[in-house]
Amino acid sequence: MEGPAGVAIGDARIPMAEDQDRRAAELTLVRAAQGGDLLAFERLYRDNERKVFGLCFRLSGDPALAEELTQEVFVRAWRKLASFRGESAFSSWLYPLTVNVAFSERRSRRRRDARIVATEDPERLERTPRTPTPEAGFDLDKAIASLPPGARAVFVLHDVEGRTHEEIAALLKLAPGTSKAQLFRARRLLREALAS
Amino acid sequence: MTCHELDERLDDFVDGRLGDRESTQVQAHLASCASCRERAQQLRRLLAHAAALPRGVAPPQDLWPGIRERIERRSAWAGFWVSWQPIALAAAAVVAALAAFLWNGSGPIAVRTVAMPSATPSLRPAAGTGTSDPVLAEAVRNYEQAASALLETLQRRRAVLSAEDLARVEANIQVIDRALVEVREALVKDPESPELNRMLVATHKKKVDVLRRVVHLTTAL
Repeated sequence: MEGPAGVAIGDARIPMAEDQDRRAAELTLVRAAQGGDLLAFERLYRDNERKVFGLCFRLSGDPALAEELTQEVFVRAWRKLASFRGESAFSSWLYPLTVNVAFSERRSRRRRDARIVATEDPERLERTPRTPTPEAGFDLDKAIASLPPGARAVFVLHDVEGRTHEEIAALLKLAPGTSKAQLFRARRLLREALAS
Repeated sequence: MTCHELDERLDDFVDGRLGDRESTQVQAHLASCASCRERAQQLRRLLAHAAALPRGVAPPQDLWPGIRERIERRSAWAGFWVSWQPIALAAAAVVAALAAFLWNGSGPIAVRTVAMPSATPSLRPAAGTGTSDPVLAEAVRNYEQAASALLETLQRRRAVLSAEDLARVEANIQVIDRALVEVREALVKDPESPELNRMLVATHKKKVDVLRRVVHLTTAL
């Protein structure tokens, strides 16, 4: 009895220990980056770029703009790094910063608009990230991108990211009721797109 | 429950936010209405699809070089301010030592509007340069022309500076201008002082050096 229980406990501890090791390694990188080590910050970027880009991409509905927003997130993160005290995962610290940049950075949008006209690589704008789609023939990311910005943001945060209305209200500075209304609107529009 | 009433509750039902009584009513309606049942299934498929989307998406290209460039550009500014600090402190010390004439009321980045103190005609510096030495006066005029040209360039490029950097440039140029005013004031009282004349030229040179570096940094933005 003692043997199997010990294994079970051991099995349970392994992921916890791995998680602790990962957090410790991440904190070491953050401390180095806080001291000005750009290579350490690059590793933090590499560890988080997909999450940040994915969120920027879905919140903006525009892959070219998402690139710009992702860069802005990490530049701001570098500037604000001193305020990270290691009480949460680095990705958790990045999350509200990413939402804030992606949802409210209107200046970036204007720069994007100017750049689209001037770009020397128009094909780059067509390289929309593709994600696996359980519903054959229906590109949900494309449908999400076509939503009005407010409804899109709430749908992404609630139904893709799994955030609660209370969290979304705090992140987007909305009333929880507004978040709920925007979610239902987004779902209705997406259901219509799905049905067509 | 009508189809319309169900439609109003469907999202809450699927999210598990309805109480037992309303939830039972919805389930009863769905059991008897094929079209509402289809809508509910459609919503569940949509939510399953959304939840299955990968949170992470790879950017189409490597974004790090652009991030690094912007960070290093910021670092160049940070380094500039660190190197500038002793100069600013020295200029501020001159101003503090002669506190009676601290502020001339001119606007930011306004080297041309530096006020000359009232002076008797015999002590008035040559051609408004602040010094009676013709060689030094020529040097001061050259520095003033250079500073003026650099300030014009900086004004044209001010849009590329962050509000924070712009405010710091303006504040520090004001400090150096105030130091110049103080040296000129002192020269009015002691026009032959070699130390004050050297200080006047050195301060002009410092202003041009600083402006040149600021303008250079703005070209990288």
